[in-house]
Amino acid sequence: MNIAAELLVVSFKVICSFVLAGAKWLVKPREKRVAGQVCVVTGAGSGLGRLFATEFARRRATLVLWDINREANEETAELVRDIYRETEPRRGSGDGVEDVPFYQPRVYTYVCDVSKRESVYSTAEKVRQEVGNVTFLINNAGVVSGHHLLECPDELIERTMMVNCHAHFWTTKAFLPKMLDLNHGHIVTVASSLGLFTTAGVEDYCASKFGAIGFHESLSHELKAANKDGIKMTLVCPFLVDTGMFQGCKIRKEIAPFFPPLKPEYCVEQAMRAILTNQPMVCTPRAMYVVNFMKTILPFDAIVCMYRFLGADKCMYPFLAHRKESTNNNESKI
Amino acid sequence: MMDLKLWGCALLFPLQIFLCVLRAAVRFLLPPRRKDLGTDVVLVTGGGRGIGRHLAKEFAKQGAKKVILWGRTEKCLKETCEEISAAGTECHYFVCDVGNREEVYQQAKVVREKVGDVTILVNNAAVVHGKSLMNSDDDALLKTQHVNTLGQFWTTKAFLPRMLELCHGHVVCINSILSLSSIPGAIDYCTSKASAYAFMESLTLGLLDCPGVDCTTILPFHTDTEMFQGMRVRFPQLFPPLNPEMVAQRTVDAVRTNTAFVVLPWTMHFIVALKSLLPQSALEEIHKFAGSYTCMNTFKGRT
Repeated sequence: MNIAAELLVVSFKVICSFVLAGAKWLVKPREKRVAGQVCVVTGAGSGLGRLFATEFARRRATLVLWDINREANEETAELVRDIYRETEPRRGSGDGVEDVPFYQPRVYTYVCDVSKRESVYSTAEKVRQEVGNVTFLINNAGVVSGHHLLECPDELIERTMMVNCHAHFWTTKAFLPKMLDLNHGHIVTVASSLGLFTTAGVEDYCASKFGAIGFHESLSHELKAANKDGIKMTLVCPFLVDTGMFQGCKIRKEIAPFFPPLKPEYCVEQAMRAILTNQPMVCTPRAMYVVNFMKTILPFDAIVCMYRFLGADKCMYPFLAHRKESTNNNESKI
Repeated sequence: MMDLKLWGCALLFPLQIFLCVLRAAVRFLLPPRRKDLGTDVVLVTGGGRGIGRHLAKEFAKQGAKKVILWGRTEKCLKETCEEISAAGTECHYFVCDVGNREEVYQQAKVVREKVGDVTILVNNAAVVHGKSLMNSDDDALLKTQHVNTLGQFWTTKAFLPRMLELCHGHVVCINSILSLSSIPGAIDYCTSKASAYAFMESLTLGLLDCPGVDCTTILPFHTDTEMFQGMRVRFPQLFPPLNPEMVAQRTVDAVRTNTAFVVLPWTMHFIVALKSLLPQSALEEIHKFAGSYTCMNTFKGRT
């Protein structure tokens, strides 16, 4: 095709996608059905993973919960079973809760260390045999070492990278082939705002989250290039979430009321809406889109200036100090 | 009182930003002061070939005291070393795979004993597998992460403490524009480079309070070396592959002028800015048009 004509077509398509994005913003698109579909959540034992599991349970998806901690995982499974019972559709009630054919979803739990390739592959094989084809893959498991780079044991740096980033390779490689065959699936990457911009003192965490986003973007382009339109991808970038993972993290005192730590429920609610409407990316709160954009157009000195104004450049230092203190008191879990 | 201070800061903030932008513009127009490399010992990882080789030569040319090369292939290291020595700069080479943590620490010790304290660390070593996810070998995926990302953690941990003690040092990272704008078909590389970028950004922010120790990250577009051989961009007239010598020159210059981030060519800033602004589907159309979906099909680089 003539280059000029092609350029015209591309420009038209770009404008179209802007219009479409605007339209979606005004008219909320319908959420897709997940009832009866299999959904794998990694790191389901706590924090956002547990909330993702309960949200999917509320929509009556079959859940496969992965976590390294058996008891925590079972607790989540119990929560999920409760929700299944609560939301059981009453036949003939006619209140329009669910008009799908009666289907009893189930919950399966697996103990799996996602940082270990063999563990992921063997657990995935079990899932395939015991549960069936996976439609949703929520790559949620994440850890943080909580030490300054020079004081951090090397094994913890490796572990952060393996759980937060390399694990996505293995889980995705395990479930993607079937999704490709069926041209049907959805891969969700739970990253962090720290995957879009960084802060001092948590090099390993930022590196792992940026890596996860790099992986996510490259994979989504790969699927697009292969014309696999049926497989959707959603990137979830929450700001600091109030799950205790970054206890002690503080931005500037006067600014803090404008950026309070997110309620995990709110964060997952926003993420669920994005997932169910096939939105490619969701940042909570929305101000993060602005920060992200500013970061790409400003020179580095100005970015530093902005971070200092927000008190974001060293916001992790109190967290690191807190972590150190609790390690000394033998309170730390990891 | 607190409120007053906040309002003051809030009012000053746009002005500060404006000043920063202005300063950046002035720096762009006027040649800034360049620091002298006369006392510096430079270590270049992956210094045997590609950009690393040109970097080592450029550092020597611009007056570095000693140059140390790390790499996996002794033959290339030796050649480069001889070339630099012949030009009159003290040069040493050590065989070291930065993907191997123990080897890095051990060789770092050897360097300290035999040559002295490294004051400029250039993290340049990188590998690329260059396949789509499902066609990638697991070990190859991991190897790319270990060399391109974790290698930088280990080298930095090995040499940064001494730089902080001396209040004199520079950590340099040769990254890639793919760290900020991924393409399909090089998923291992995009992931590892994005990680490496975050590592450097976080480190740069952390080292702002450490006088004398600075960071530089270079984000070049496709460079004409054997690493990405066969990669074909659609509009080579608009975006010609970069010359490795030019990348090396710009890197050394950025080190001497203490520039934190350099994007080569500067037009790539637009692509990064567009990415944060455009809806995903628009971005995909642009990528498709620009040929980044097919550029890796002809890739036959060394893996």
